[in-house]
Amino acid sequence: MLELLDINAGYEGSTVLRNVTLYVPDRSVVALLGPNGAGKTTTLRVASGLLDPAQGRIVLDGVDMTRWPPFARAERGMCLIPEGRGVFAALSVRDNLRLQSEPGSESDSIDRATQTFPRLGQRLNQVAGTLSGGEQQMLALARAYLANAKVVLLDEVSMGLAPVIVDEIFEFIDRLRSTGVSLLIVEQYVQRALDIADYVYVLNRGAINFVGEPQEIEGEAILESYLG
Amino acid sequence: MNAFIVAVILGLATGSIYALAAMGLVLTYKTSGIFNFAQGAVAAAAAYLFYTLRQSDGIPWPIAALISVALIGVVGGLLLERMGYALREAPVASKVVATVGLLVGIPALLAAWYGSSSRPFDHFLPSHPVHLFVNVGTDQIIIFLLASASAVGLSLFFRRARLGIGMQAVVDDPDLLSLQARNPIVVRRWAWTIGTSFAAVSGILIAPTIGLDAPILTLLVVQAFGAAAIGSFTSIPRTYVGGLIVGVTTALSQLYLASHSGFQGVPPSMPFIILFVVLLVTPKRLLLEKGTRLARRLDFAPALNKRISVPTTLVGLGLLIALPQFVGFRLPLYMTGLLFVILFASLGLLVRTSGQVSLCHLAFAAVGASSFAHFESFGIPWPLAVLLAGLVTVPIGAILAIPAIRLPGIYLAIATFGFGILMQRFVFTNRVMFGSTDSLTAPRPHLGSFHLGTDTGYYYVILGITVACCVVVVLVQRSRLGRLLRALGDSPVALDAHGTNTNFVRLLVFAISAGLAGIAGALSGPVTGFTDGLTFDYSISLLLLAVLALSGRRALASAFIAGGLLQVVPGYITNATVSAYVPAFFGVAAVAVAVVPGIGFAKRFLVARRVRERRGASPVAERRALVRPEVVVAGAPLSGTGRAGGRNGDNRVAERVEMARLGAHQ
Ligand SMILES: Nc1ncnc2c1ncn2[C@@H]1O[C@H](COP(=O)(O)OP(=O)(O)OP(=O)(O)O)[C@@H](O)[C@H]1O
Ligand SMILES: [Mg+2]
Repeated sequence: MLELLDINAGYEGSTVLRNVTLYVPDRSVVALLGPNGAGKTTTLRVASGLLDPAQGRIVLDGVDMTRWPPFARAERGMCLIPEGRGVFAALSVRDNLRLQSEPGSESDSIDRATQTFPRLGQRLNQVAGTLSGGEQQMLALARAYLANAKVVLLDEVSMGLAPVIVDEIFEFIDRLRSTGVSLLIVEQYVQRALDIADYVYVLNRGAINFVGEPQEIEGEAILESYLG
Repeated sequence: MNAFIVAVILGLATGSIYALAAMGLVLTYKTSGIFNFAQGAVAAAAAYLFYTLRQSDGIPWPIAALISVALIGVVGGLLLERMGYALREAPVASKVVATVGLLVGIPALLAAWYGSSSRPFDHFLPSHPVHLFVNVGTDQIIIFLLASASAVGLSLFFRRARLGIGMQAVVDDPDLLSLQARNPIVVRRWAWTIGTSFAAVSGILIAPTIGLDAPILTLLVVQAFGAAAIGSFTSIPRTYVGGLIVGVTTALSQLYLASHSGFQGVPPSMPFIILFVVLLVTPKRLLLEKGTRLARRLDFAPALNKRISVPTTLVGLGLLIALPQFVGFRLPLYMTGLLFVILFASLGLLVRTSGQVSLCHLAFAAVGASSFAHFESFGIPWPLAVLLAGLVTVPIGAILAIPAIRLPGIYLAIATFGFGILMQRFVFTNRVMFGSTDSLTAPRPHLGSFHLGTDTGYYYVILGITVACCVVVVLVQRSRLGRLLRALGDSPVALDAHGTNTNFVRLLVFAISAGLAGIAGALSGPVTGFTDGLTFDYSISLLLLAVLALSGRRALASAFIAGGLLQVVPGYITNATVSAYVPAFFGVAAVAVAVVPGIGFAKRFLVARRVRERRGASPVAERRALVRPEVVVAGAPLSGTGRAGGRNGDNRVAERVEMARLGAHQ
């Protein structure tokens, strides 16, 4: 289980997150929702180690990793697919996949990734920066699959993509959860996120102001205010 | 035919050494986005250390080589990694200043410690000849094989090894690499260690052929830039081939051209001709700048309050007018000091205002100096000759605007660096420039009963022209052109999108800057009465950039401070040991100034600006919150602050959180 305990965090001079506590239980999907600027990305950055919290602890499977750098957390099973395109634009698709895989399993990983996303298989030698937006996102997502993570954090992975591609990505998320990893998803398609989530957290102006199961939130005013 | 083959073999051997240095250079550039102008200086340092260990301390050469490469390559590499890290978000100009500072500082330190005279450097590799068609030295074969093996190994490493691929990734997005369970610092350390070790090896290998001489060793390895350009600064195999091409063409031109009068300048400048031409013809899409993704923009000094600037200017001017009364025989120091003010002000226009780095500013001055002397000898009146000398320099500046238009940031700096050396090697040595004796007379002006020919008289002439040039610079800064230049430094793309012809802006700024430098050059001759090519050594252009970086961010104030630092202050140092360290000090200080803003001042400045932006945005958020319905938690309205879950917020949320956690345990 991933635990964020009483987190305060921000950027030099301003606090963004205030006393955020959040749990991602094993084998479950947690949706983190909230309006623009609420601090969702900041929460994921703190969880993955890209941003140090001013206060609070980050614990994964009982191990306190609050002061660990991102690569150490990644080695222990934390996997953030960041906002935007999480690929190395100057490298080929193949090299991107090589970097994503665990040491020693490169060719095996490339096979697994191309089975999951056949489009990538046709473009192994293409420079990642020249892929379409959807293809780049698939390449970025492949890491969630290859890294053998315990918990995967997804930050708006469907942003700016065509509906067909979004379908494909949600299929992938479904498949990912069936492999037993737990997921923390930030999504703009609220309904779709609620459909797959076991728990929902709503973040507003840096503080959690709703926690519960998806059916509790549906039809509530809070959802409206969120979608509004 | 035999001579041809011998030349080719010689070229392959020296080319192999260039290739080693160039591959190391490409490796670190690709990984860090820092183009290490000081690669040659690192090589020289390794050669000096090797010399000391072996020839002074008598350590056997393999051990001496190992120690030198380990100390310079590994320790130096790790230090450079720190420097590169501090500069990761710096604008191109700061990155150039840092490594140019090293390029100035390291050879100066070596010269201060070891003395500036060249020393013989014993051969250490076995050199008995082996007969392959012609006689080939064993050392040549060893060097060739070493470079080839390194090229193959490094190419495979880059293509196959995870660390190698990581090196290509880390420059663009170290955070993403870290998210992929790779430690970006370790990746960078490896790259710098390998790249710097390559430089160290090349220095040790090349030293026996030329002896221990810091500037020459440095310059020889700088020839590797041409090789790196052939490899588009990215491809290891092409860089290797590039090294061989540079070596062989240089050797062949030595064989065929050196004896023809008028072409003697060609062989030694061959690598720089290759560098400049390759940069001019390489398709733009191949010359992608590394490491700009994280780069922040240039920051400008805020305009000074008139209540401060006007009195300061007046007092300063008054002091300058009164100066001849106080300084006595040191007045010529102040004359050249004022000329350097013009040089610095015009260089600042390029580097500071528009973010374009020129490493060949002295070449403009040289053209001005030589043209002035020629015009004078034709009997053209003195003031007109100075003006014309400035005008003649303008087209030279315009030539440099071509690479400026074609090439982004760092490549322009490299091109101007090559151009500066090319001018010195090829053009200055030509009779057209400074005559057959490399010296032209440059008289002072005469004006009836005014004694302009005296030191004091000529000082006032220079002061008048300096003030005029400063006025030009201020006018340019305040005009529309100045705004365009600042926009150019800030974001060329945005300026293009605005429909402004950025090419014309670049052309204009290079022309103005070169013209001013030409005038400074023209005025320099009459200080001593004659002018020669040696005065305008390319290394002074590097020093100019380093000292300008030390002197603050203000257009005019920095020019005066820099002129004083570079020309006047050293004139007051009488202690020989201290004077020997002055150039080293400038180099090292420039590195510090370039690196420190990355961690200290500028960053704080930058963050302050971001915070301000966000504060500016907050009223909108405030308003949005007013329009929004009350936030609701599980059916119950929250308190108006909307800060549930906080320490004193609604504890229902805390309850829910707890439930979610307990749910997890089921
Ligand atoms: N690098 C940064 N420096 C300073 N402030 C930042 C930085 N990144 C984010 N912020 C601020 O922190 C707050 C939260 O941002 P965050 O990106 O976490 O929001 P978000 O919930 O992910 O929003 P969105 O839905 O738009 O992605 C915002 O007010 C933002 O301006
Ligand atoms: Mg976000």
